[in-house]
Amino acid sequence: MIELNSKIPQGELSEKWTKYKAAQHLVNPANKRKLDVIVVGTGLAGASAAASLGALGFNVKIFCISDSPRRAHSIAAQGGINAAKNYQNDGDSVGRLFYDTIKGGDYRSREANVYRLAEVSNNIIDQCVAQGVPFARDYAGLLDNRSFGGAQVSRTFYAKGQTGQQLLLGAYSALSMQIKKGSVKLYERREMMDVVMIDGRARGIITRNLTTGEIERWASHCVILATGGYGNVYYLSTNAMNSNGSAAWQCYKKGAAFANPCYVQIHPTCIPVHGEYQSKLTLMSESLRNDGRIWVPKKKEDAEAIRKGQLKPTDIKEEDRDYYLERRYPAFGNLVPRDIASRAAKERCDAGYGVGTGHAVYLDFSSAIERLGKDVVEARYGNLFQMYEKIVDENPYETPMMIYPAVHYTMGGLWVDYELQTTIKGLFAAGEANFSDHGANRLGASALMQGLADGYFVLPYTVQNYLSDQIYEAPISTNNPAFDDAEAEVRRKIEKLFAVNGTKSVDSFQKELGKIMWEHVGMGRTKESLQQAIPMIVALKQDFWQSMRVTGDNNSMNPELEKAVRFADHVELALLIAKDALQREESCGGHFREEYQTDEGEAKRNDNEFMFVGAWEYTGEDNEPILHKEELNYEFIKVQQRNYK
Amino acid sequence: MKLVKLTSITKKMALAAAGLFLLVFLLLHASINLCIIRDDGGLWYRNACHFMGTNYIVKVFEVILLAIVAVHIILAVIVTIENYMARPVRYAVSSKTKTHTGSKWMIWTGGLIACFLVLHCMNFYAVKIGLVEGKYTAKIDKVDAFFQQKAMKMQNGELNQKETEEMTAQLQAINSIPENKVDVKNKELVNLTKEEVFKYCGTDFEDYEPDFYTMANELFKKPIYTLIYLLVFVVLGYHLFHAINSLCQTLGCNHKKYNGAIETCALGYAVIVPLLFAVVPIYVMFIK
Amino acid sequence: MKLTLKIWRQDNAKSKGRFETYHLDNISPDCSFLEMLDILNEQLINKISHPVCFDNDCREGICGMCGLYINGRPHGNDDAVTTCQLHMRHFSDGDTITIEPWRAKPFPIIRDLVVDRSAFDKIIQEGGYISVSTGGVPDGNAIPIPKNKADEAMDSAACIGCGACVAACKNASAMLFVSAKVSQFALLPQGKPEAAKRVMAMVKKMDELGFGSCSNTYACEAECPKQIKRSNIARLNREFFKAKVVSEE
Repeated sequence: MIELNSKIPQGELSEKWTKYKAAQHLVNPANKRKLDVIVVGTGLAGASAAASLGALGFNVKIFCISDSPRRAHSIAAQGGINAAKNYQNDGDSVGRLFYDTIKGGDYRSREANVYRLAEVSNNIIDQCVAQGVPFARDYAGLLDNRSFGGAQVSRTFYAKGQTGQQLLLGAYSALSMQIKKGSVKLYERREMMDVVMIDGRARGIITRNLTTGEIERWASHCVILATGGYGNVYYLSTNAMNSNGSAAWQCYKKGAAFANPCYVQIHPTCIPVHGEYQSKLTLMSESLRNDGRIWVPKKKEDAEAIRKGQLKPTDIKEEDRDYYLERRYPAFGNLVPRDIASRAAKERCDAGYGVGTGHAVYLDFSSAIERLGKDVVEARYGNLFQMYEKIVDENPYETPMMIYPAVHYTMGGLWVDYELQTTIKGLFAAGEANFSDHGANRLGASALMQGLADGYFVLPYTVQNYLSDQIYEAPISTNNPAFDDAEAEVRRKIEKLFAVNGTKSVDSFQKELGKIMWEHVGMGRTKESLQQAIPMIVALKQDFWQSMRVTGDNNSMNPELEKAVRFADHVELALLIAKDALQREESCGGHFREEYQTDEGEAKRNDNEFMFVGAWEYTGEDNEPILHKEELNYEFIKVQQRNYK
Repeated sequence: MKLVKLTSITKKMALAAAGLFLLVFLLLHASINLCIIRDDGGLWYRNACHFMGTNYIVKVFEVILLAIVAVHIILAVIVTIENYMARPVRYAVSSKTKTHTGSKWMIWTGGLIACFLVLHCMNFYAVKIGLVEGKYTAKIDKVDAFFQQKAMKMQNGELNQKETEEMTAQLQAINSIPENKVDVKNKELVNLTKEEVFKYCGTDFEDYEPDFYTMANELFKKPIYTLIYLLVFVVLGYHLFHAINSLCQTLGCNHKKYNGAIETCALGYAVIVPLLFAVVPIYVMFIK
Repeated sequence: MKLTLKIWRQDNAKSKGRFETYHLDNISPDCSFLEMLDILNEQLINKISHPVCFDNDCREGICGMCGLYINGRPHGNDDAVTTCQLHMRHFSDGDTITIEPWRAKPFPIIRDLVVDRSAFDKIIQEGGYISVSTGGVPDGNAIPIPKNKADEAMDSAACIGCGACVAACKNASAMLFVSAKVSQFALLPQGKPEAAKRVMAMVKKMDELGFGSCSNTYACEAECPKQIKRSNIARLNREFFKAKVVSEE
């Protein structure tokens, strides 16, 4: 039976982190070399953690699923990174960033963690600038900011439309420096298959070498999991093809609690689905909502004519357009948080006003072009417009873009305490892989902030605190029987997958799972839809283990096997998402239960009964998981209904 | 694998710097060549050749030039081989990528130019260094002075019989020298074979020089040679256009404001310099 | 659309490869190139043969993982795109498409169309960074950087490390890749202290790994999905010259 102890330091909110750092245990430099740390994942959180720990002197091994750390999907983040620098003198502060993040997360995140996040946000910007990240500058040569959803200040730092790329390359370069120094060893094309437990602590991992198929053992004093989110359970998402929730799922099965799996963010501005063959969805940066106006036709017959191709969007007169976000949320307009913008789009489309295939709304730049000129718009969004045109073959300068919500980010993840340690001792989770900072909904430009905060400024302290007494441990050996068992387990699983030898490809199952999840556990969930989904997922899982086929063998590069391994986990994870969504009988942030909404169609929380983190404990293959509740106590801010009007 | 232990950029820079020197040399060469079309019976041209053939500083530069040509060629070959080795398995479909004009063919255009250089050297430079016999020229003053000197010796009875006979024969020969071998205006004997030099000037006369003017004129009267020559200069132009762009790039001379100008200059040089060379054979062939 | 595909198949680094021919029917012009290969693979799996291996990840043109040599052009017949952003509308019904892996000595084939590009990581490890550890850095606004310099550095930093420059270059040269990183740091004041050391180490590594040298054909620039400019290479040359001749390193 696991116990949730969030280990939040006592005292004033603004002093908790300072106090923690002052009181934490350290490891002397000579001993750091003798302590091994494994980092899984090379995205913002993983790369920055490995680089920082390596710089401190720990012996770090970092594992990467792709051919290079630079491929991690953090690279795809476009818009920017938040920080409470208040360079714009528009009233920003650590407190305001903290408040906006808590409110944006619909009061379902931990105060202390979020405050720390806001606190270190400024250090991140300084760190990245020092690394040579080419943030956008104004004509004075100072850092420029843009505004983003869910905030009334301009606090988002950006590097064109490629902020994630630049930050990741910054972390990657810091990592490369440590690799050169020898303090970090990099292992590419490795997938984590299991976490190895010795005496109740995480002491290593088993990986599969994706090039040779070899099953490998790695021992360490602690393991940091930075493997991202599980959005690909939905098949069509903005996640990369290799992004998966498999590693986190292995940890869950070994005893790490999985928190809030039902909090899945649906991003409002993605390029709509256009065919059965589609493999993924492309996100258009939320920053587009700064200058773009979202609308659908006011009249159903116009929408229908557009869908049939009889009318063009430019034919619809200004007075016949429904700028529904501006209409419903005059204060924030097109800049409402993601969950709200997504649901509003779905609401309009469900009501029959959708354009394109019926599942799309317009994002229009004509008034921005009129107001600012084409040059300014091009300078701000040129690369995004180009990207859109490459995919859709339409020119967004002339005709409005079509967008629709898509699965983008998972707020849920491994449960962690204030130190980012999971319920397994010595197993840490960082970045999207943990659940910690975003509550039920993440604000734009906060994912990059959290990933880097965890990696650069939190883990180097908390991991050290954990390792301080580990120096007394004998070096961990991969000959330990625990490694034998874990490896045997992995081999069994792979053999079992080959043994099915059915007729259907893994992709067909993942597509099927995606459909079930999108339709029943998607943007708008009901008790009914969830109750339908659960047996469907169970049936799909059974079908998978009976009629799936993996071609090839285990001794060479075999993407089909990789997909099968991941799907086997995804289908179980999907079930947990549905169960979590079912138990949470309220609407909050990314979790919208249609039964629980205000008269105006807004999410209606139930703070009395559901102001907790739902952390699930694995109890075996055929047993029901146990829900543990970590109550959320808001000591420093007043809980209100989220209002962006 | 690297054939020469220099970084790739060092090799490229050396190649480019050598090329830059050759560009300057080409200008000089073209301006000397243009003397041929001056209607002075070859005075300027022969004077220029005389200067180039006898000045000591020029002689030093000649060695440097040869060394630089060698460096340019050797480095080009080495770099090409190394570059080829960087892709041991070639693509099945040849590249459809747009590249800078001429850039893909530098080693081939360069090779062709090198072949021409061999021919060119056989025709001219080999004559100069005495490997091959060509046509020669001698200043009448010098021949005269040499003769007078000998005559003086004869008067003093310092010559033996054989030498005396030679002198007589020389005197006879000079008196019957064909008109086309005497440039009266410029006071030179021209268009002489080596045998004729000895015949007219004496066997021990040393003050003669290759008669490049005559040799050039003779060559350019041959349509085949002129055709090859013109073709080579088209190829040279092609080579030069990329070369100039390329050397600026390699030497890091690159600036947003001036990149356009560099491209234009490269085009200008690549068209004008080969044209200057081409003017001469065309003039000789069709106008002279 | 009906298509004939000629695809390079190779079981592992050591085995001998060969072209295999496949036929596809009913491909939508709105389908992306990789989705077209997904469809092919689905068919191959149904025939119980091994699907074609190809690297891909983000499928939105930013991770740099995908890269195929399609009909004689890296990333295919469209400008400024990665393979995943290439759409079938750039082909015609009945086309034969030849798909090859990146070919370069430093990029050995792992399987089929998958190559090992860790050479790029090795070059970055030699100096593609500013040697700052976490913490103890000045305020982000402490050093103003002229907007045009910052923008130019951003343009250089946009490189995604896909290797199309190497694949396109007749010499398999990595100069565009190296120059993009060197330029990014050469343009920023933060990069100045290590400039000489960086450029010499990175160029040395690049040579060691067996990349060819630059002969200024600018094929790299023509095929770079992020439109990294050749002026970066000139800057690299300049930086290299400064490092070798002027600096005291």
